[in-house]
Parts: sequence; C-alpha cells; structure tokens
Amino acid sequence: MIQEGILRHAATRLLGLIPTLLLLITIAFFMIRVAPGGPFDSEKVLPPEIRANLDAKYHLDEPLLQQYFRYLGQIMSGDFGPSFQYKDWTVNELIARGFPVSATVGGLAMLLAFVLGTLIGITAALKQNTATDYSVMGVAMLGISIPNFVIAPLLILGTAVYAGWLPAGGWDWSWQRMVLPVITLALPVIAYIARLTRGSMIEVLHSNYIRTARAKGLPERMVIRRHAFKPAILPVISYMGPATAALITGSVVIERIYSIPGLGSYFVQGALNRDYTLVMGVVIFYGIVIIVLNFIVDLIYAWLNPRIRYDEAS
Amino acid sequence: MTRSSAIRALLACCLTGLASCGDGERDFGGPRENRLQPVELVLMENGRPDPAVLADEQTVLRGNGEEPETLDPHLAQGVPSSHILRDLFEGLTTESPEGKVIPGVALRWNISRDARTYTFYLRRDLVWSNGEPLVADDFVYSLQRALDPGTASSAATTLLPIQNAREVLAGEMAIEELGIALLDEFTMQITLTGPTPYFLGLLASPVAYPVNRKNVEEFGDQFSKPGKLVSNGAYTLSEWNPRVGIELVKNPNYREADSALVERVIYLPIEDQSTEVNRFRSGDLDWTFEVPNNQFKWLQQHYARELVISPWMGSYFFGFNLTQEPFIDNPSLRMALILSVDRQILTEKVTQFGEKPSFALVPPGIDGYVPFSPEYADWTQEERNHEARRLFEQAGYSEDRPLRIEIRYNTSDNHKKIALAIASMWKQVLGINSTLVNEEFRVFLQNREQKVVTQVFRAGWISDYNDPYSFLELFRTGHGLNDYGYGNSTFDALLDEAGKERVRARRERLMFEAERVLMSDHVVIPIYTYVTKRLVNPHLRGWQNNVMDHHPTRFMFKLKSRAPGSPEPQAEFAPDTPPATEAQPRATGDPEEPTPEQAAEPVLADEEESQ
Amino acid sequence: MTKPVMRVQDLAVTFTSFTGGLLQRKQRQLRAVDGISFELHAGETLGIVGESGSGKSTLARAILGLIKPGRGRVIWRGEELTGLDEEELRQKRKELQIVFQDPVASLNPRMTAGDLIAEPLWTFYPNMERRQVDERTRGMMKLVGLLPNQINRYPHEFSGGQCQRIGIARSLVLNPRLLICDEPVSALDVSIQAQIINLLKDLQKKLGLALIFIAHDLSVVRHISDRVMVMYMGQAMEVSDKTNLYRKPRHPYSNALMKSVPVPDPKLASAARRNSWLTGDMPSPYQRPKGCIFNNRCPYRVSRCKVDVPALRKMENEDWAACHRAEELDLSI
Repeated sequence: MIQEGILRHAATRLLGLIPTLLLLITIAFFMIRVAPGGPFDSEKVLPPEIRANLDAKYHLDEPLLQQYFRYLGQIMSGDFGPSFQYKDWTVNELIARGFPVSATVGGLAMLLAFVLGTLIGITAALKQNTATDYSVMGVAMLGISIPNFVIAPLLILGTAVYAGWLPAGGWDWSWQRMVLPVITLALPVIAYIARLTRGSMIEVLHSNYIRTARAKGLPERMVIRRHAFKPAILPVISYMGPATAALITGSVVIERIYSIPGLGSYFVQGALNRDYTLVMGVVIFYGIVIIVLNFIVDLIYAWLNPRIRYDEAS
Repeated sequence: MTRSSAIRALLACCLTGLASCGDGERDFGGPRENRLQPVELVLMENGRPDPAVLADEQTVLRGNGEEPETLDPHLAQGVPSSHILRDLFEGLTTESPEGKVIPGVALRWNISRDARTYTFYLRRDLVWSNGEPLVADDFVYSLQRALDPGTASSAATTLLPIQNAREVLAGEMAIEELGIALLDEFTMQITLTGPTPYFLGLLASPVAYPVNRKNVEEFGDQFSKPGKLVSNGAYTLSEWNPRVGIELVKNPNYREADSALVERVIYLPIEDQSTEVNRFRSGDLDWTFEVPNNQFKWLQQHYARELVISPWMGSYFFGFNLTQEPFIDNPSLRMALILSVDRQILTEKVTQFGEKPSFALVPPGIDGYVPFSPEYADWTQEERNHEARRLFEQAGYSEDRPLRIEIRYNTSDNHKKIALAIASMWKQVLGINSTLVNEEFRVFLQNREQKVVTQVFRAGWISDYNDPYSFLELFRTGHGLNDYGYGNSTFDALLDEAGKERVRARRERLMFEAERVLMSDHVVIPIYTYVTKRLVNPHLRGWQNNVMDHHPTRFMFKLKSRAPGSPEPQAEFAPDTPPATEAQPRATGDPEEPTPEQAAEPVLADEEESQ
Repeated sequence: MTKPVMRVQDLAVTFTSFTGGLLQRKQRQLRAVDGISFELHAGETLGIVGESGSGKSTLARAILGLIKPGRGRVIWRGEELTGLDEEELRQKRKELQIVFQDPVASLNPRMTAGDLIAEPLWTFYPNMERRQVDERTRGMMKLVGLLPNQINRYPHEFSGGQCQRIGIARSLVLNPRLLICDEPVSALDVSIQAQIINLLKDLQKKLGLALIFIAHDLSVVRHISDRVMVMYMGQAMEVSDKTNLYRKPRHPYSNALMKSVPVPDPKLASAARRNSWLTGDMPSPYQRPKGCIFNNRCPYRVSRCKVDVPALRKMENEDWAACHRAEELDLSI
C-alpha cells in the first residue's frame, strides 16, 4: 500500500518535473542571451569574416527563436552540445567529469556535517544552557560566520604549507586531497545543522511522549535514540534537500581555492564567458539534481513520519 | 618551527592578508624539494649539462593558469593552451630559449625581393609521433585548415598576412586560392598580401602548426584527445583531465629527442593565484603561471631566489574617448590629464609589482625597437604638474568651472586601485572630481566599442608577436579595436609605409614616427609596461627570460639536490634576476656569470630528499 | 488495618525561574507542591482533586521520581524512593506506573501500538523472546479492549479513547503494583470517559493495583476513589473518605468545590452556581497569602486564619482537614 502510494507519488512528481524544467530551460536560455556580450567577444575584436564563421558554426546567426527550438530538439536526445569555451569537450563530457567530483566532495561534506552537526546539536540540547552548550554552539557559530574563502587559505597554510601533512590543492581522487575541501565545505553546514538540531531537540524533549518514554523506564540514551532523535532531525532533513543539492553541485570558491575540477566553476565560468551551451547544460543538470533531491527528502520524511502517506496525497 | 610560531604565522597571515607572513622565516617544514639547494651546474663540451648533475626524475610540474580552451592548435588562442601546444608541436619556424625565431621543421628559407614570397625548405627526415613522415603537404593542409571558414578559427587572424586569406575566410574564394603552394615533397611557398616583417615569428605560433591530416579526418572534433592526438613536437599528449591536469611525455620521434632532457611535463590549471603560490610553497609545483600582486612584496622578501621578474610585451594604459565631450577636440585637457598622473607612485606604491613606468605606447625590448620618449618623460613630476595646471586652465577649466569625469574599468582589484589613485592625483593637481565606474568585462568591452558613455577608460595591449606594429595598428582609423575614435591620416600613412617597408631600420624609423604622431595627439595615458613574474624551482634550469614569455620545456632540465647537510658552495647561479633592478634576459645555464650566494642560510636536515 | 504500601511525607517541589536581563537576574521560587503527606494501602484508590494549577500533576511526577522533589520522602514498600539514584529509580518503574493526561500526544507518533506497548518489555526484559513479547502485547491489548489486529497501527489511526487504552496497556504491561492516573480522561469525550473509568476500575480489581487517580472533575473521582485528597496551591486541604467528603466536607474549600460540580440538569446547575461562592482567582503562586493559604477566598475566615497556618489534622472519623474551624463548621451539602 505504501509502496504503491510512493510509486504513484514518484510518477506524479516526475511528470511535474517536465513543465518545471521546460520553464527553467526557457528562462535560462533567454536570460543568458539577454546578457550583454557574446561568447566570442574578447579584448581583441575579431575580423567580421571570422566572426561570421564562428556564428555560423554555432548557429548563432539564426533567429533566436529558431536557436531555441534547435536547442530544445537537441536536449531531447540528451545532448547538451559542444562547449563554446572548452572547445574539445562536449558539455555532457564536462558534466560527466565534473559532477562525480562535486558529488563526492559535497556528499562527504554533507555526511560529515550531518554526523557532527546532529551530535553537536544533541549534546548542546541535552546540556541546555550549560557551559558545554554555550561553548559548543559558540564554536559552531564561528563556522557560520567565518566565510570559507578565509577558512580555506588558513587551512591550506596550516596543514599544507607549514605542516606539510596534506597537499595544498589539486585533485587525483585520493583522500588526502579531499580532506580540506570537505572540511571547508562542511563547516558552515555543521554549524547550521547543529543549531537546527539543538532547537528541535529541545522542543522534542519537552513533548509528552518523551515524558511517557521516561515514565516507561527507558534509560535516557534510549529515550534520545528511539524517541527523540527522529523527530528532532526532521527539520534537518528538510534543510538537507536543498543544502545537499547546493553542496554536490559544487562551490566555485572551494573549487578555485583547492583547484578541484568540480561542477561549480563550469557554471560561473560558463556564465562569465557566455558559454551558452555550458551554462544551459549545468543549469538543467542543477534543476534535475534539486528536484531529485527534494523527492528523496520527501521519501525520508515519509519514513521518519508515518503520518505522511503518499497514498492520501493529491 | 614550533607550534606557537606556526600559530603566530597563521595569525599574521590572517591579519595582513598574506602580505607579511612570518618575519624572515623561510622554514616551512616538511620534506620539500624546493627547500633544498640544487647542485652546481656542470656543462659538458657541447654546452649540454653533465648527466652527473641531473636529477634522476626529470618531471616538471608547471602551473598553467586557467584550463586551456583547446589543444587543437588552429583554434587555440589563450596563453595556457599555447604553452602546452609549444611543447606538443613545432612549426616551420620555432623559438630559441631567449625567444629568437630559429629554424623549426623548415631547415632554411628564402625571402623574395619584394618581401612577399617565402620559400621554405623542410628537413627531410622528420616523422610524426606516430612514425609517419612529416612533409610539406602537411603544412599546406594545416594552413588551409586553419583558414577554412568551416574551422571557424578566431586564431586565424594571425594568418591574415597570407595572400587571399581574408577572402577565403569570408568564403569568397576557394581554399586553393590561398597564397600557399606546394613545390615538392619538402618544399613549399607562401605568398603574402604585403611585406610582413614579423611573418616568420607568426609561423612559430600555434595556428601555423601542422596537424596530421589522417588524424584529423579520422577523429574529427575529438582528434585532440589523449590517445588520439598525433603531434610533431618534443612531447606527446598522454593524459588530459579537464581542470585537473595535462600530462605530456617525451616524443621519441622528435628530431632532437636526445637533447630534450625532461621526460614528463605536467601542466596544472590553477585558476587561483594564491592557491598556485601555496602549491609551489608546499612543493607541488616547479613553475608557477604567475604570482598574485598582493603577495608580491612578501615573496620578494622570502622567495627572492625563486621569484623571477622579466619585462613582457604588454602595455597598461588608459584611453580617451575622442568622439565625445569633454575630450573631443581638446588636446590641452588630455595632455593635462596625461601629465598629472604620477607613474612612479602608481608602480611603486599602488601596484608594487616591479612594473616599469611608461610614457609611450610600445613597451621597450620588443625586437630591438626603441620606443618614442616624449619630452616630459625627463621632467620631474613637479614640472609636469605645473605644466598640467597651465594646460588645464588653457582648456578653460578652473575652480569656478570644474571638470567632472568618469573613469571606467572592468571589475578587478588592480584596475580599481589604479583608477582610484589616478582620480586622487587629478583631484589633487587639477581639482577634478572623478567618478569610478566598474563594469563586468563584456559589458565594459561593449561600452568601449560603442564610444557613447565612455570618457576615460582602462585599456592595455599584450602583443601576440614580437613587433611594435601590433601596438600601433590598434590606432588606425576604423580599426576594430580603435575604441578611442582616433583618426589621423598622417599616422595611417606612416603605418601603411611601415607595413610595406622591407629594410628593418627604415621600418623601425617609420613606426617610431607613427608613435610620435600618436603620442603628440594625446590619445592614451601610458601607465606602465607589464612584467612577467613567477616562482621557479631553483632546480629547474635551461630556460631564459624573454619578452615573449615563451618557455618550451624541451630546453629545461632539473638539477639534483645537494645532499642534506653538505656544505654550501661558494657560488651559485641565480636563475632569477634581482627583482628591483631592470631585468635583462639572461641565460640561466650561463657558467660565466656566477653570483655569490646572497644569504647563507643553514640547510635543514631533510630525511626524504637524499637521492 | 494493613500496613500502607506507600507513605508520602512532607513532599515538596519548588521550581525556580529567572526573570530580568542577563545582568539583573532575579530568581523566583514557585512552590508547586508544598508539604504533602499521605498514605496509600494496597488495592486502595486515592483520588486527588483540585483546580488546575493546584500541583496535582507535579505531585504525581514527584511521587514517581520523574521530578526531583525538593524536600520530603516517598517510601514505597519500606524503601525510600527519594534516596535512590537514577538507575535504581528506573528499575522501580516496573512497580510504579503512570497514565498521562493527553493520550494522543503522549504516544510517540512514529511507533506502532504494538511497539508502544511492548517497549517497556524490551527495556526491562531484553532477553524475552519475540513471540512471548508479542503474546503479552496482544494480551494487554485485549485486556484494555483493543483488537489485537490493530497491533501495527500508528497512534494517529486511533481515536483519543483508544489511544488512552494503549496508554493504559503500556503502563500495565510490566505488572505494576501502583498506577497513577494523571487526569486520564479529561481530554476525552464524556461518553468515552465512562468507558475508560470503568476499565480502570475493572483492571484495578482484577490486578489488585493501588491507584492514585488525579482529576479536576469531582464526579469522576467520586466514582472511582476510596478516599479523596483535596489540593489547593500545592497543599492538601483535606483527605477524607469519599462518602464523607461528598456528603459533609470538612474544609470550606472542599465545600466550594463540591458545590461547583456541574449538574446535568440546567435548572439545578444554575442554582448550584448561585450557591457556589468560590469567587475570585487563585492568588499568584509567587505571592502566597500568609496564614491559611485559602484565607483570602474563604467566607468563614477569622482573624486567626490570616496569621496561623492550619495543620492537616485528624478528625474524629479518621478524615483529615487543614482548617482551624474544621470542627465547628457544618459544611454539609
């Protein structure tokens, strides 16, 4: 019954994805072209003959609407086209290489943030208004308030340049090169999750069924584990959907500072260089990632909270 | 380093934005090759380094700025890709370590009396990296491909001197009508539209490199990928991981494979300059693409041995929009603004990067050309300011009739700092109120080109080839990059003549005259000449400073490290030039110029580096 | 008479709250339970009544050690609960159980009825076989009037009355000897209330439980209790046999409460309300009246009431009252 409901829900959501994506594609397509300048503008102006050849090669000489429909047709077959800037690569290739990197770093960061954040939050909630609470949450707040472009160079200087424990950047899929980016990416998320967890945990601990659990004679750790944890992390789960999407699609700052070949830079570089196909590809890909993650969050929600049933929904 | 001092150093870096990290400390711990001293270079009779002094592993890690946009030599334009392509390919001509044009695939050439026809005689025993013979037809095919409208190469502008190139690019003529002829298997002829003295230099640039016809036809767009790309240079492409790195290995089929000592070169795209410095400092790099301005002073103090500064063929200046108020027909005002900029302060206090203050357009050191130097170049700033005030009043401005102007630049800290400084100089000397406008690069370029809203704007030019002409032609009437709206028939005529002139001295005279005319019309505010600056592992030798900033890996080699704890030698070769002085290209492997070790610092024991 | 199973002596709970800013912090003491003493015998039902805020629930939790009392002792079958550490006290949950007021909110919405009922078994008998746990759970469900096939349902699928049945089953699954019911029916429909009360009454008889039944509804208490304690602002005003209390209360406050009992007949109800003189609000718990705590609302007060605190005294018929004039007043209803 539940299975069927979820399947039907998934189908509905997937259908709903199509108009959303179409809207996204349309807005992005025209917005990037409204932006002044084009992909082949540079300080050195091209002779008109060459400019014309380039426009013809990339179909930029066609009317905009025709380009739009050409693009729609192209992406129907799953082809995002060649990148304007990285001429030897297709957008599909770039995403296929960039996303696993971003997803690994972002996923590990989210995992770290979730584990540490909830631990810190629960500890603080259990020791509410004590020195432990204040110091743990104080440190966590630092994580939010210090921007990553300050933390990252400090981490590099400390661990790589001076101590020589870790490489100062670069990428080869080794754990050593993942440590610093993952930590940098996770820090603000740890802090945020800790705050969310602390707040909701305090609220949950005051609820009636926790009182019942204690009256049943459950040891305190069982009360937390079996009764308080799940409801306390519900707000964390709903935050994690968009947050995970943001993390696994890459962060320009982190990618620049640690020279990581993730997806984030393609988006920003693509936009700055008016690399139309690359920007569009990444935008569409982002859109899909976000929708999928929100869907996963919904599923986790249902698992955590039996009152939500998709067979009743819509 | 003790813990507390590490923390102190961290705090210091944090507080001062990395500018003053550590007081004289060079000790950053960890086993780092670049902390060790290289052994002394010993040359053999043939001028090559003695194998005994070479490191066992000849791998060079080069920081290379942004990800190269392509490895198709005919499409490549950016500096990062051209560095790599110079290692992968060789054109008819090539460059020596000091940047001179030397024979490449062509063993020799003849230039016709009218300087329009070049006949190239190719070396006969050359092969591609796949073993196939390299013949003149490969070059004919490649030049035709580069100029084919279907290839849509923006780099093809470089080849426009070739006869009918423009028409072919425009699709008005068939590709066979290009001024390129195959005479026999190893001889070819290129005909130009007009005399082009720098043409041999152009042939050393990527767009004139040969590509293997079968290779291109077999793989199409994908031919430049590792495992597919066939090249003819000292190295071949073995791996390409976008935004991670590009690995090249020695090409055993290269004509001088024996003389290329570096076996493997890895180009690492590192967009962030601070990251690049950090990676160099932690021993991850032998060669940086550049160094960040804000760390320059600190590096000068702490990495004097590694920091290399060299003049480059680029000029930084601001331009006037001559088509709009207030600068239209107002030379006195323009001159006043030019005079009242204190270049000394800009380079020494504002940019602080060893740039050379300039008073003209063309930077010094380009192919022997001595740039025009206006009279005021020799004045004191006091005298300049005095004259500026006089001209300002003459132009009709005063305290009662003050001037407001806009200074426009594309978003960048450096441009902003300079614009701010200039604004305050004008305010101080002339009482001008300036507004700073910063714009995103593409918006900025568009505004410049439209010449409607611009007044004073940031400009600059970095030449593609070793010729002053490339700076001057920007100011021709109607040139696509003439965002100043400048038009002077005398200037245009001088350039026309210079274009045709075959005698080097006379041509230089014509260009000098053109520059004089341009500078007397007060079109730009010269600020400084660019320099290149990078960190280089002292073990890495064989390269030389040059205005092109071209450093092919095949000339490089890596020295062994001196055994830890072994006594310092009395003298050592400094690959860099002292940062404060005017840098001259110098051979790094030159055994006749030993400089004494500047600071004798103790070598710290290092466990790992005892090869 | 038998020895009591539970003796509560001078039990007091004080809450401290802080007001004011960080710098001018002020402490305020709220005496929620203020020196309560009573005894409870095996199989006996003690009702506790009082207005909301009188400290009934706090007293219940303090007895079970769910709140640490500030003063006094709770002696359970000769053992002092107030002296036990957390783990020892936890072990006592097998014998002492409680049913809470809000049946739905008191059940974890993420657990099935079966799990909610069985959880104490897993906790105290981790080695018990699954089948046995299941059997016992189903047995409990049957006992409280739930269908065993509802074992896998979640609380939101049950009505309030059914939820309270789950709550009762859960509290009885460990075979406790004392059950405290903290207003178990006040959140329920009147029609359901009777079912639950009867269920509790039956169970008490069947299982021989000692029961403390807390309610603000006097008619409910009357139905189930043997003796009744009347609380006001954390103190016991009167502890009397049920029949005596409802016929002839000893304390003016008890009298007022009896008169305010809602009467089903509207005519009688309005008459009753007219007769009820319990006017005004309870004083602020932070500013307790001097002398008898009830004196400012008491029509029978004399000057002494404002000075001396009346002790809970034993009357001639084994009832107890805390009023200076308990003997002289005739408060028959």
